[in-house]
This record gives sequence, structure tokens and C-alpha cells, in this order.
Amino acid sequence: MSVSAMTKKILHAALFYEIWDAMKVTFKHMFHQPITFQYPREQREIPHAHRGALGLLRYDDGRERCVGCDLCEVACPSHCIKVISAEDTARPLQRYASEFYIDVTKCVFCGYCVEACPVNALAMTKMYEYSTHDKRTLMFDKKRLYNIGERHLNDAKQYLYAHNQEKNVEESREYRYYFPQSVLKTTQTPPKHLS
Amino acid sequence: MGLKPGTNPDVEAATIQLNIDGKTVTAKDGISLYDVISMTGKIIPAMCYHYTFDPFGSCGMCLVMQEGKKAPVRSCTAKATAGMIIRTEGEDLFLARKKAVEKHLSVHPLDCPVCDADGHCELQDMAFEHGVTNLANAKQKFIPEDTRSPVLDFNMNRCIACAECINVCKDVLMIDALQFMKKGGFNQVVPKGDLALSCEFCGDCLAVCPVGAITNKFSKYLYKPWQMKKTTTTCNYCGDGCQMYLETKDEEVIRVTSPLSWKNKWGDRSETAKGHGGLCVRGRFGFEYLDGKTRLRQPLVREGNRLVEKPWLEAMHLVVDRFSNIKSKYGADAIAGLVTARCTNEELYLFQKLMRIGFGSNHLDSSARYGHLNFVHASKHALGLGRTPNDWEDLTKAKAILLIGSNITETNPLTAVRIKEALRVYKAQVVTLDSAVTNMAKLASHPFVIKPGTEGLVIHGLVKATIELDLVDDEATRKHPQAFAALQAAVAGRSLDDVASQTGLTTDNLRDIATIFAEAPRAIIMCAEGIVRRAGGYDNVLKLIDLAWITGKLGRPGCGVNTVTEEPNEQGAVDMGVAPEFLPGQASFDDPVARERFAKAWGAALPVSHAGSSLVDILKGCKNGSIKALYVLGENPLETLPASMEVRAALDRLELLVVQDPFLTQTARQAHVVFPACTYAEKDGTFTNLEGRVLRVRQAMDPIGESLPDWHIMTSLANALGCQWEYESVNDIQSEMMKLLPGYYNLGQPRKVVSAPDRYLENGYAAEVAVRYRTMPTSHDSARPFSLQMGQLLMHSGKMSTEAPGLIKIAPNTGKLRMSLADMDRLGLQDGMKVRLTSDLGSLQLGVQPDQSVAIGTCFFPEHFNEPPVKDLMSVSVDAMTGVPAFKQTWVSIERA
Amino acid sequence: MAFEDQRTTIYKVNPEHPESETLPTLRTEELLLNLGPQHPSTHGVLKVILELEGERLVKSTPVMGYLHRGVEKLAEDGTYHQFIPHTDRLDYVCAMYNNFAYCRAVEKLLDLKVPERGEYLRTIVAEVQRIIGHQFWLGAQALDIGAMTVFFYCFRDREILLDWFDELCGARLTTSWYRIGGVERDLTPGLIDKLKQFIDYFPPKILEYQVFLEKNRIWLGRTKGVAVISAEDAVNFGLSGPTLRGSGVDYDLRKYEPYSAYPKCEFSVPVGKNGDTYDRYWIRVMELYESVKIIRQCLEQMQDGPVMADVPSVTLPPKERVFTNLESMIQQFKLFSQGFQAPPGEIYCGTEAHKGELGFYIVSTGGGKPYRLKIRAPSFIHMGAFDHMSRGYMISDACTIFGSYDIVMGECDR
Repeated sequence: MSVSAMTKKILHAALFYEIWDAMKVTFKHMFHQPITFQYPREQREIPHAHRGALGLLRYDDGRERCVGCDLCEVACPSHCIKVISAEDTARPLQRYASEFYIDVTKCVFCGYCVEACPVNALAMTKMYEYSTHDKRTLMFDKKRLYNIGERHLNDAKQYLYAHNQEKNVEESREYRYYFPQSVLKTTQTPPKHLS
Repeated sequence: MGLKPGTNPDVEAATIQLNIDGKTVTAKDGISLYDVISMTGKIIPAMCYHYTFDPFGSCGMCLVMQEGKKAPVRSCTAKATAGMIIRTEGEDLFLARKKAVEKHLSVHPLDCPVCDADGHCELQDMAFEHGVTNLANAKQKFIPEDTRSPVLDFNMNRCIACAECINVCKDVLMIDALQFMKKGGFNQVVPKGDLALSCEFCGDCLAVCPVGAITNKFSKYLYKPWQMKKTTTTCNYCGDGCQMYLETKDEEVIRVTSPLSWKNKWGDRSETAKGHGGLCVRGRFGFEYLDGKTRLRQPLVREGNRLVEKPWLEAMHLVVDRFSNIKSKYGADAIAGLVTARCTNEELYLFQKLMRIGFGSNHLDSSARYGHLNFVHASKHALGLGRTPNDWEDLTKAKAILLIGSNITETNPLTAVRIKEALRVYKAQVVTLDSAVTNMAKLASHPFVIKPGTEGLVIHGLVKATIELDLVDDEATRKHPQAFAALQAAVAGRSLDDVASQTGLTTDNLRDIATIFAEAPRAIIMCAEGIVRRAGGYDNVLKLIDLAWITGKLGRPGCGVNTVTEEPNEQGAVDMGVAPEFLPGQASFDDPVARERFAKAWGAALPVSHAGSSLVDILKGCKNGSIKALYVLGENPLETLPASMEVRAALDRLELLVVQDPFLTQTARQAHVVFPACTYAEKDGTFTNLEGRVLRVRQAMDPIGESLPDWHIMTSLANALGCQWEYESVNDIQSEMMKLLPGYYNLGQPRKVVSAPDRYLENGYAAEVAVRYRTMPTSHDSARPFSLQMGQLLMHSGKMSTEAPGLIKIAPNTGKLRMSLADMDRLGLQDGMKVRLTSDLGSLQLGVQPDQSVAIGTCFFPEHFNEPPVKDLMSVSVDAMTGVPAFKQTWVSIERA
Repeated sequence: MAFEDQRTTIYKVNPEHPESETLPTLRTEELLLNLGPQHPSTHGVLKVILELEGERLVKSTPVMGYLHRGVEKLAEDGTYHQFIPHTDRLDYVCAMYNNFAYCRAVEKLLDLKVPERGEYLRTIVAEVQRIIGHQFWLGAQALDIGAMTVFFYCFRDREILLDWFDELCGARLTTSWYRIGGVERDLTPGLIDKLKQFIDYFPPKILEYQVFLEKNRIWLGRTKGVAVISAEDAVNFGLSGPTLRGSGVDYDLRKYEPYSAYPKCEFSVPVGKNGDTYDRYWIRVMELYESVKIIRQCLEQMQDGPVMADVPSVTLPPKERVFTNLESMIQQFKLFSQGFQAPPGEIYCGTEAHKGELGFYIVSTGGGKPYRLKIRAPSFIHMGAFDHMSRGYMISDACTIFGSYDIVMGECDR
């Protein structure tokens, strides 16, 4: 070992160089923005594409979008959706979901149901804080799903847009299609977007 | 389009050769090119084709290229001719087919999410297969849905005008209830005359519809095909034993589908002789009772005059205690049992074993006693064979069918379809002899209406006409000259004119019928409720056998005397020995060899021989107090038998009445204990249908509530009574039956049997033949001019179907007497007016309605309904030989009230 | 069994001194030790039965299956499309690469071509996932050895990418972004900007990790010369990925069986010399640099275009067409309710995931569901070499050794 190296080593030992070196890093971090944040006082900003809890949507006039076609049920990889469909007695020939269940304990949040839905009645929202002490409350029924959809309507629309399910919010109204056309007389004129 | 000659056994077709895709194929001349191609195993898409009827050629999908032609040809409507060179594949054909699909899609609504056919839709398949995307100028039809029919909705927006529904209705079922009509610029399928659909509601149009244009009202919008669990099982409404798919979603029966469907459109037409795979209205739409609200879900025990729900253990303890008590106090003979023939073979077997070994009593009977046993006894007595000798194929291919006393389209609709096919495809001559204008009579080549109650006399006349016209088959009669002489002597006493005048036929009619029957190479007699459920049923079946014998039809393939059964397993009930006179396998109860065999197999002694009583005697025993306990399994004598049988009084005297039923029937309301039983959808087992075919019944869903399968209840009961039965599943019972009745299951095929009358004709025939020809039709008081008949409706079967809301919706109890228009005019009656109906046993008031199928001088009331209690007017006559109570016909007077 | 021996031998009476029967005879012998499945360094629920002689490993037997969920069987139940979310849960640290490997296998079965932009996106995201995977491995491996700071630094940078994933596909870990025939959605300009920022920010950070470790005597002592495996043995055990390349075998599917957009990028495959734990570490760090390079090139080369193949019989129609167009509606319903009809046949398709070769073997008998699906999981194959590689090393090296394979039990047990 050369003399200069020896001197350097002794000097380092005498001045606790390694400690200072380490403390330099520590003190540098005092002037940094911390990379952690204080949840739940601070909330994470969630991107529009985020796949959170599912909600059912209504059209702007308040009618349920869901026509009970059961396609979400068959698209679901974890078989967590159950749709019971029926004929709407108030509006004959209209099919609707009389019951709709999503077992959130089974849901894998893949978003396939949204992709499958032919009327965009389902959408995922940014809601993720629904932990509970009672597992049974995680069986979301139709009422709860519509509730989620109503409360997070904006998120849901942004989700649909982000995932290419709707071109944009304005245009999506054009696509609205009631199934089926309830025809009373043959003379009835077809709806605007079909003529 | 003509008939495909290859399918008719009587038509010889030349064999031709043609070239398909470079391969030489041999085919019969004159058959559709499409059939030839599909026979080679190549499948060309076709949406309007179905093998059960002739090609129609509307979809334009089955295109092939024929050498020498510029454009593709439709292979279904093209006839195969010798030397054709055909190409079935290629880009040009694919594009041409794609164009055809696009044509259909361009006027199809955007309905997939709501459509019930979605996922089971040929148009979807074709569009997907041919990769149709982005069609320009799609237009909508905007046709309102036709919801007038009680069972089917017609949404003509979805229709692709393939005409499969029209063709199946017209060609296969010969009902012809649908037609095309140009409405609103589109060809639409409408019920005949654009009225509300009124037909047999078999729903075969629904089954063959390749899209969702025809929907089932009872399951509309409730399902998507991919959600369903599909169980193949056997229908339990009648003895036809149709195979069907019970489709369930969770614990709910959603719909019933048939093997007939657009999905299996490729087949050999000759295969339809064994059945075309369709269903009738009962099978297809009468499923709602399976999970209905009226089902019993808990055992019921009588407390005072109420039935209270109790747990199984308590109810079972009570029953076992009471049975043991009665047995020790009064002996085993104080216990009797009745069972319905809607149970499976395994349960019927177990029932008779329970009665004979568990209770030690031979007082047991099944609902086969209401008629089928007349046929079984007569056939067994004469031919040594206790069932029908012919199957559906024989029936379809017969050249002459003598249908006597049978409203077969109502009682056994699918057997009727066989006769229709015989008429249509095989050009059979069908003679109907009935005291009503039945649906079959409208189609038959030789329909005859006879006076009520003279069926026996007609047969007498036919035998006499056969002998007089010397249509006798020498070979058959020469072997038994003595018997033939005795028969000649027996029928000599009455002239044909006499017969003709009493039956309402002419002597020429009788001669014609005899000629048709005797000269046909394959001739089948079909007798049903008009024979076996009426007085003298046993004798009349024997007379029919005489007729078949002298015309040489016995033992010849494709010929024989047959019957149909009302309940699915009447034949099985007889075969399983649920009758005091039979042991399983139709062995006589008094046969010492059989007795020993069964006693050994069951490890217990049988009740003493020559003991045991049948239905009527059991009820008598209940009434006079010799029977103290009655175990009723699914039977409902209180609602079935007329009041003159005093069933209520008999049941009231019982110390213990145990009823085991899926529903709380009137009989069950009288019971001390009611066990909830399962329907056929909740258990495994087998039915034996009228052909003798053993058919599987499979469990489609879990038992409703706390109900249990009958075999399960009986096994527990037997074990509680001290037997050591170790049946854990139906399979265990089956393996025991297989040991005791080898060959009974026979892989579900009817065993081919040959009638052997020789032994009977040599021994004792001469002695007894005279007696049966001596009986006269019962003369009646001229003050009672009308014959009141009770019988089955197409939409119903027994009392069970009245629990099915769908069937009740189609055919509700009108509570009205059905009369012919002529009679109503004569009496000055109009639809809905009240009349007083009086028989020797009583009288009641009810409305009337006209019915085209009712003959003059008769009136009809469906046997399924007891409101008003028309059945109580009926008199009962019990057959001396077979103990069958006949109570379906009586004489009444009708006057305006 | 050894347990029994212990009792009988330790308390054996010394025959020479019968009076000392209460005194046990001290002796040394092999000890069986269960490591895991609850041990924090076993990366989940791995259990290894170690046979010890003193502190040296004599034999080690991995016990698998604590995280077995029957994923391969589940594949037979659903359509091909429905299996993608299940692949997320194989190697749950790097879901994207599993998606990628599976989709590639199905595309090979269907003979389906992904559009060019789709391939670039797939490559970019796969390399981002590789960075995440290596960061995670590095942090965890360093933590196992005792260097906690590296763990925090790695996770700090990993977090940036996970948030980027969240914005891309809606989930941080269970991504399901790849589709058969392409990817679910295109990168937005915002996402591209963020990624560009990251690749400028990231290389100095890699240096930071290196500085922390490569000067650290403990790290060097615990990794250099530990768990050496020769190139021949590595090949024979079927090792792949960095574990194989650490032994000096130059084998990388991206290079030698090129797929996706890799052939269009220039990158090198780092190869080690000694086959020890340090070399495996070094290769992973070098691969971080290479990944950044690949991402940079892809972002530059990428042209506008579709991201999904347009094959009506396989890929979903655009949603807006479903609303108005019957053919697309039918396509939507058929594909979701029955799935696309795959041709009968069997294929194997291997993909270079950051752990090694992740292969999917699919047997199709036609129809919408696979008849059988087998996953060649690198973690599982690597565990086969564990006994061979650990013999003679100290008990404290056990975690380092299987840690150096980058083992994830979700993939190993499937």
C-alpha cells in the first residue's frame, strides 16, 4: 500500500469520512419532496382508465341502459356476474335485468364485462374504498350498482372514453339504441339515426 | 318437390352415379342434390333446409357449381341426375354464399341483446362464419310483434322467410296452421288467415326456427342459451316416451327443447320413421309445474282437521308406528297400496317389493288398471305377450292402419305423427272408427263415425265381413281348423245388416274396411281408450286379435294389434308386477316357480298365492273395513273415480291414509300423512313407453324444498319397517332388476317379439270364443238419448297437467259441455247457455259449447276437470276378467235449464 | 426418520461407563430443516427441506404447490380470450409479460398477424415490464442479503412505472392489457411523454443501484463465487434467461428467435462468465440499460396505425360499430359467448420474459376453448437446479440462491 493511500485511509478513519458520506445522503433528502404521501389524508390521483368498482349506468333521461342480454355474465372470466332477465311488463317487448348481481369478492377487475356490453350499461369507476367487515355486503346487487353508477357517472364516462368504448361523451348519445324498436304500427317512422 | 323415393320401402329407385368434388358418388335417382352431398359427409350451409320435409329453396345458401352452368345452382332444389359434375367449395361459392347471408342481414333488426335465439341462431352463425362486416344500407322492417297466440310470439322483424316453420307444420305435422302473407312490403309468416294462432301448439315451428322470429311465451326473455344446463330426459305426460331436453338455469326450469331443431337438419329421411324428434304441446309447454308454487315442500301430518307441516323424521316415525300397529293388530292384509304409472320403473318395482315384502300384503294396484290391463290381459292370454308387438317404425311403414276407438292426436300426439307420416310418405290407408270426429279422421283415407258404445259390434262385423268375403288367410286358419270353425259359428248369429244398422255404418263400409285391412301386406290395428277403457274392453281386444288372426296378420312382421297408453309408464307398471296378479316380468303371482325365484332373491316369503285385490276391490275393502291402511303413491282415486264408487266414504273409514305426491291432491287432503315427492325432473330412472322401449329419465335439478324421490322415501320406509334395503341410488335398484329381469332394459331398444297365438288357438279357444261375440251393446233408455263421453284433451294429461299454468292458459277448464252444432240447434241451444244434464245417477247444470269434433247424439266433457263434477254422473262397470273399471261413457238426457 | 435416530442415539448409554447413563453422548449429525413456507425470504410460499451438516447444505428438496390454483385447468373452462386475466396471476410481479407470452402463443395457433404499431407497443410495454421485474428482483435480492436501501430505491422508481401502467390499462399489477391480435388501447400522447421522461431519468438511477452494491463488501462476499453452475449443467437443467446467460451461454429468444418489434431494435445481450450469483446480478443490471435502449428506439421508430388486428372471426369489432351495425353486434356476441374457433392442432410458443423462457403449450381440438394448456414456467424449471446449485454452501446462502433465479411462486406453482 502506498503512502498516500495509507494517509488517506487514516484520514478517513480519523474524520469518520464514511459517516459523513452517508449523512450527506440523509441530509440531502431533507430538501427533497418526499415520495410517499399520507393516505388517507392525502388521496392518490387516479387515472381515467383505472379499473375500480363496477357501476350500472342510466341514459340521461333516467332509463336503465341494461337490456339484460347476459353477455357480461358469459364474458366474465371469474363467473362473478349473475343477470336475471325478464320482459318489462310496462313496456312490452323490452327486455331488462330484473336482478343483477356482481360478487365483488370474486371479481378480478379485468373489465371484460364492460368490453362485452353491447349498450355500454356497465362501466368501471374510480371507487376503490369499499372494504367492509361483512363479506356479504360485497355482493353488489342491482340497486347498489346503479347507485355507484349514479355517484360516479363522470368517472364512468371517462372510463368508457379512455378504453375506447365510446368515442366521446357527446357522440355516445348518438349511439343510444333502445332494444328492440317497439313498433306499434307499421307506419311508424324509424328513429333518426337509422333512417 | 316430390317425395324422395329412396325413403319409401315400396318404391324402387334406380341407382345413379355423379361426381362431387372429384369423387364419384352413388345415389338413388330423383333425390335432392343437397341430400346426396350431405350423405358424403360434406356440409354445405343451408338455412331453409331440414331433412324431415322436402327442400324449399328460399335461403340461397346451398349453392354449388355444376359443370356446364355459369351461375351457381341451389343444390337443395336441384335433383341429382346421372353424370353431374359438382363442385361444392371455392372462393366464388364462398362469396356467393356470403352475398346470400348479407341479403338476409340487411333487413334484420339489431336485436341480438334481447333476442332469445341469440347464441342459438343460424343467421348469427352464418354471418360469423362468412365474415360479414360493415354492410351498407341496412334497413329495418318495423313490423309489430304478433302476440295474439297463447304460447308463441311472432316477431317478423327477425324472420328470414326460410319457411321451415310452415313446412314442418304442413308436411310433418299435417296441421298447416301457418302461411306466408305479404304485409307491409314484406313476406311474413302469419297464422292461417292472419288470425290468432289456433292449432295443436306442438311448438315444432319454434324448434326449427333458425332465428328468433318465433319465441316461446313461457320463457320469453328469461334466458340466453349459453346459461342453460341441458338434461336429456323422457317426457312424462303420455306413453309415447318422447325424448326431450329439460333446460334449467339454477333451480328453475326455463324451457323444454326437442331433438328436432334447426341445429340437426342433416339426416336421412327414412330415420324419421322412428320419430321426427318433435314434441307436443304438453311436453314443450307443460313444464311449469316442475318448480311451481303448488309443489309440496314439507311432509304434512293431520292434526284434527288440518294438515300441519312437520319435519321428515317426525312424519316418518308416525307412519312407521301406525303401519306396524295396524299390521300387528289386523294382519298384513289390512294394508293396501295404489301407485301411479307416472313413477319410474325402479320405483314401481320398489313399490311392489315394499307392499309384498315390507308390508306382506298383495293388495296393490297401479293406474294401468284404468284400461291398459285390459289390453295386457287379452294380449297375454291370446298371444302370450303382455305388450304391443309393433314399434313406431312398423306403424310408420304400415300399408293399412285400423284406428279404432282412439282420438290419437289428442291422447298420444307423437304416435299420431307416425300415422300422419304413414299417410303422407308411405301412402298408407288409414281407417278411423270412432264415435267422435277426431282430428285423425279429418286426415284419414277412410274415416267412419260409429254410434257410441258399438266398437265391439263393429269388430264383430269386420270379422264377419272378412269371413263372408273370403278374405281369410288360408295359411293361418288351416293350421287351426277347429278354432276357425268355432269362430265362424260364433259370428254366424248376427247378420252384417244387423251390425250395420246398430253401429251406424253400412254393410259396404264394413266390407271395404275388411278388404283394406285384409289385403294390406303390413296392417296394424291400433285400439285405444274407446276399446280398453270401455265396458267389454277385454273381449273387444280379443276380437281384434281374432280379426288379425284370420287375416293372417299375427306373427307377420310389421303387423299386429296395438294400443297406446295414457300415462308414461303404464307398460312399466305391468312389467314391474304392480298388480295383484303379476310378479315382476309379468310372471303370474300364483306361478310357484316364479314365486320361489323372487322369494329367494328378496330373502323373504311372498304373500300367499291367490290373495290380493285390485283397485276396485281395494276400495271395497276400505269401505267394508277389511283394509285399514292405504298407501297412495301419486294416485288420486278421489278425483278420478265417479262418486258412485264412494271413494270418499272408503277413505274416511281408513285408520291410516298415507299419500305421497308432489302436489296436495284431493286424495292427499283426506290423508293422515302426506309425503312430498319429487317429479320426474328431480330423479333418475327409466320409463317403459308404449313400444316397450325402456327410456332414461335423468335428474335435471335438485329436489324442490324437502321433497324426496319416491324410491328414497320407500327405501327409508322399508328399512324402518325392518327390511334391510341398501339402495343408495337408482343404480342399485337397477342392478337388482337387471339380475331378476335379464334383458329388460335391452339398451333402450324395444325387443322384437313375434306373436305366438298357436297355443291359445289349440287350447280352449273354441270354448270361449262364442261368449265374446254374444255380448250385445248395452241398450239404453230412450229417455236418455245422448251418450256422454269423458276423455282426454290434447293439452292435458290426467290431473297432473292442471298444475301446469301454461297448459291451463292454453286450455282452461271452460266448465262447459261440448256438443255438436246440429244437436245444439235441435235443442235450441247457444254457446254458453245452461243445460241440465241428467243421467241415471244424478243430474247437474252446466253450460254448453259447440265442438266440431263431437258427433251427433253425443256430448263430451274433458276428464281432467271436476268442476262441475260431471264424472259423478258416470256409471261404473267392472270387467269381470280384468277388474278394470269402465266409467268413461254413460247415457244422459240434456234439456235447457 | 433422522429425527428418530437422533433420539435413540443421543441418549444412548455409553457401554463403557454404565454408571453415566444420565449423561447424553454428544455427537454431530445431519439435521433436517424446513425453510418456509412462511419464511419472508421465500418469495411467497416456497418450502425447502434442507439437509444440513453443520451450517453446510448437503441436500435441499424444494416442495412446491402451496400456491397451486389449477390455472392450467381453468384455461380449459373458458374461451381463449377469458384466460388472459388468469395469466396476470401467474407471475404477478410482471403480468404484462405473461399476457404477452400467452397472446403470442394463441396468435401462433391462429396464425394471426398483429399490426406494426401493435407490435411496437407490445415491445415497449414488455420492456417496461422487464425493467419493473428486474427492479423488483434487485430490491428483493438486496433485501434478502441485507441491503435495505437498494430495496427502497428500486421501489421508488418502480412506482413511477406502476402508475404509468395504471394510466395505461387501469391496473398496476393485474394488467390484462394485451389482447389476442394486438393490445387493448393505444398509448396516449401523455403516456408517451411520461415514458420519454422516465427513460431519461432512469439510467443515472441504475448507476445509483450499482454504486450501492458493487462497492459493498458484504454484497460482493455474498454473491461472488456463490452458487456457481457451469454452462453445461445450466443447459442440462433447462435454465434460461439471466440464470443461463450468467453461466456464459449466449441464449436470448429476443435475439435468436426474434419476435414482435425486437428484430427492428439494436440491443446487445449481456453474457456472464463465472455462472455465480454476482454474474446473474450483473446481467440483470446490464439488461436494464438495454431495455431503456430498446424503449427509446421503439418510441422513435413507431408509426401511427391500428393496434389491433382486424380479423372479424377473432378480434372484437370497434365498440361504436356494435351499437349500430348488426354484423358487428353478431361478432361481439359470438366472440364473447362462444369465443373464436381455433383450428385443431398443438403449438408451443416460448417468449423471453425477464426470468427466462416463458412458454405456453396449447392443444386445441377445434372450438372455442383450449383442450389443454401447459405453462412452461421458468421459476419452476429453475427450482429443479436448486439442489445442484446449493450443495456445499451455507444455510444463509439458500435464500440468495433461489433468489437469484428471480423466483415467483404464483408462476412456479401455477
